Amino acid sequence: MRIEKCYFCSTNVYPGHGTMFVRNDAKTFRFCSSKCHKNFKMKRNPRKVRWTKAFRRANGKEMVVDTTFEFEKRRNVPVRYDRELVATTLKAMERVAEIKAKREKAFWKNRMSGNAAKNARDAALSIEKHIELVQPRSATTTMPNLEEKEKIREKIKVRAAGRKAMALQQIEGKDKSSKKKRESRLIPSGGGMGMGMNVD
Amino acid sequence: MGRLRRSRTHHARRDVHRLARTRVRVKDLDQIEIDLRPGNRAKLERQEIDEDKPGLGQHYCVECAKYYETDLALRNHTKSKVHKRRLKELRDPAYTLTEAEKAAGLGQDNRQRGVEEVVKKFEGMSNQEGEKKEGTA
Repeated sequence: MRIEKCYFCSTNVYPGHGTMFVRNDAKTFRFCSSKCHKNFKMKRNPRKVRWTKAFRRANGKEMVVDTTFEFEKRRNVPVRYDRELVATTLKAMERVAEIKAKREKAFWKNRMSGNAAKNARDAALSIEKHIELVQPRSATTTMPNLEEKEKIREKIKVRAAGRKAMALQQIEGKDKSSKKKRESRLIPSGGGMGMGMNVD
Repeated sequence: MGRLRRSRTHHARRDVHRLARTRVRVKDLDQIEIDLRPGNRAKLERQEIDEDKPGLGQHYCVECAKYYETDLALRNHTKSKVHKRRLKELRDPAYTLTEAEKAAGLGQDNRQRGVEEVVKKFEGMSNQEGEKKEGTA
């Protein structure tokens, strides 16, 4: 058993997965998914489809030239089994993968290196283009804040006044001493004092 | 990013599924590439009379892998947009499974091992060249 590669997108095709198409000249094509199979049936060129590995490779999106690619190969010549060779190979595979990941990361970083400057330039350009949409900060932010603050202050004043009136009402009600319990329920915060008064 | 897809790609092609059936499959580009090799091409262009093929198999366009009824039809076809588009597609080498594997980071190794000594023995005099080859491989 071996892990095949998808003809279209180059991902792994594990045994028992995907589809295989056998052309009438006995050439086999393996597909990881129905998506890839359909694209093949439409006779699309994987080099021109953006999400395939072939495209990314052909257009410099991924590392192409590197010594780490010299290890993983389809070996069409049999190698005599050797226990030690297998052990060293397994050890080397880990190390090679590590180095490859590091280099790929470096490659990606290098590929993206120009982006920050470009984005900043684009942003500056777009602001320049649509300057009419940009309003001065003083006009938008400071003035309404003051008004809002005043509003909040007014609200607090009203609330305090209301509480005072309620407290006054409570005192009057206590004198009557007819609805003790209801009054205490209605005013939970000022009720503590009210209760104390009632006990007295 | 800007627009990725070019405009005017929509056609009024109906019943795509019927055209995608296996039995209506036509030759792929890599097969046509083999047909275009000089020897094969000459063979395909001068076929024997075959009653089952359109136009008795006498008017065949190798690039498009298609038979035509008359010579005039074939000549008109070679002037057409379809044919020119196909020529453009055939300019690059055809996509193969090896390319797919290479894109996935899987190379190919067809080098014979353990035969170097035998080769040396047979060559005898030209030992130095053999060593050079080993060094490069």
